[in-house]
Amino acid sequence: MSTGDAMSTGDAMSTGDAVKAPVLSATSLVKRFGHVTAVDDVSFELMPGASLGIVGESGSGKTTTARILAGLEQPTSGTVTLDGRAVEGHSRRARLRQARRLQMIFQDPYGSFDPRQTIAQSIAEPMRLHAPGSRKEHRARVDELLDQVGLSSRAGQSLPRDLSGGQRQRAAIARALGVAPRVLVLDEAVAALDVSIQAQILTLLDDLRRDTGISYVFVSHDLAVVRYITDTAIVMRHGRIVERGETEQILRSPRHPYTRLLLDSIPSPGWDLDRVARDRRALDLL
Amino acid sequence: MLAKKTPAREEAPDGGAGTRRDALGISRLSLAVGTGESEIPLLADVTVRVGRGETVGLVGESGSGKSLTARSALGMLPRGARATGGVTVSGVDVLAAGYRELRDLRRTRVSMIFQDPRASINPVRRIGDYLTEGLRARGVPARGAAEQALDLLGQVGIRDPKGAMGRFPHEFSGGMLQRVVIAGALSTEPELLLADEPTTALDVTTQAEVIGLLKEMQRAHGTGMLFVTHDLDLAAAICDRVYVMYAGRIVEESAGASLFGAPAHPYTRALLEASPSVHGGRAEIKAIRGRPRALAEAPSGCAFRDRCPLAGDECAETVPAHRPHGTSLVACLRPEQVTP
Repeated sequence: MSTGDAMSTGDAMSTGDAVKAPVLSATSLVKRFGHVTAVDDVSFELMPGASLGIVGESGSGKTTTARILAGLEQPTSGTVTLDGRAVEGHSRRARLRQARRLQMIFQDPYGSFDPRQTIAQSIAEPMRLHAPGSRKEHRARVDELLDQVGLSSRAGQSLPRDLSGGQRQRAAIARALGVAPRVLVLDEAVAALDVSIQAQILTLLDDLRRDTGISYVFVSHDLAVVRYITDTAIVMRHGRIVERGETEQILRSPRHPYTRLLLDSIPSPGWDLDRVARDRRALDLL
Repeated sequence: MLAKKTPAREEAPDGGAGTRRDALGISRLSLAVGTGESEIPLLADVTVRVGRGETVGLVGESGSGKSLTARSALGMLPRGARATGGVTVSGVDVLAAGYRELRDLRRTRVSMIFQDPRASINPVRRIGDYLTEGLRARGVPARGAAEQALDLLGQVGIRDPKGAMGRFPHEFSGGMLQRVVIAGALSTEPELLLADEPTTALDVTTQAEVIGLLKEMQRAHGTGMLFVTHDLDLAAAICDRVYVMYAGRIVEESAGASLFGAPAHPYTRALLEASPSVHGGRAEIKAIRGRPRALAEAPSGCAFRDRCPLAGDECAETVPAHRPHGTSLVACLRPEQVTP
């Protein structure tokens, strides 16, 4: 049911824009590092409960875009609107307000856990910052979260180094969910995982979205994963959006030659490497 | 055609020369570190064959032992490891070979490419030095080596090979540097190329180009290639035969093309079902419960049985022997339930 709702949010704007406002929108984002333009005029909207893919290769600007959304980079120009209010400044108050609504998950969660804190302590920390309550209440909430992401309470008492990559990613998701954010930004969140573990995390993310109505911005180079986890997608190249639309539509009939190249580059039975070379030449002609 | 495609156990060796024809023959290789109580088994009963000019895939998740297996072909075993079984590279018994013999083997007959080109290339030496080093060691005179290196750089698609010879690794992108490493690996015209996740760190479009290049170079030089990857799709797309590894053992050997249509081992099928795809209908993915295991922590009998939907009591008794099913050789008691 709710997946059907999520699917329709993509074109909700055309029917009744007063009814549903986007939970997150980026307007004409530009980010320059020196004379390099990493993100060049990027705009998109994310509806409540929807999942948006940002697809691209290294240097496409997808990660910089994600970092701007999470407030880890300041855009050179352009605005991010979160939950109806523009994200402005980076005072402590502004950052807290943003973090309560939007959380980010990275490729390797190991780097974002304090190696000397147990997983349960790490999960409780943002809660202490954002949600008032007693220690006991927080502990109950941590147990609830661990259960929600499929971790045992024993895993909660472990240090990050004692967990496998998949378990650490579950813990990172639990910590992010602790503040009940409206949006999760996932940057290559399943790229480093084994196939069988990747499938576990993907199905977990799918279930969470169905159960909680949370929205995702899913940054990935992997079109197959993006197809599974998102409703709409944008394809980025050299900092610009070259194609946007419903994910299925983009994959079935890509309009931009770069999207076509990305698709043909995916190994499959009867993989045609000559076609990949042809696609690349077509792109060079642009 | 049928007989050819069936993964051959012993492909009717003409007399005793059977192994000489293969670029790589690993037979019943077992590896362990430590002794007595603290012994940790790493590989068990691994048999892998790579014919001349053949591309063979070695697929598995972390801890499956795929990299260990590939490294054993160069005699690169973990410190203190004990090996039983046989490893033969173009007629040389690697496990029995001494230091000098191994060095000669690595210098002339076997090359290896790793995932991260920056880790396998000296950052303070020029590309030209890197490429001519192996050739000079073989006794090619300096000028001849330089000419050959230039030619190789051209072959792997480096623009301005002459300029590239004088540049340093950090001046190249990952994809370009991997091309340089491939040029270096093939400069000695090896009989066997060991490629350990050679494109995993590259962008998808770059991956396609590097794979195209590898296949082309391999065809031109008649090199046998052992291609280690976690990517089932990639292995099936480019390999003549594929070995699937789980917990230090080979669980299935299959013709590359038939891996998708007719997986014979429950683990192979589970992997396929767990991978999202861009082709066909938007299918559900099925997660495999539990996590991949190393040999030391695997349950008795079939190592996959604690995650297998088809497992029964008899799976715990002994490690299933390999037996033919369809076009595969499979270590499972009931492959007919996987693909009829």
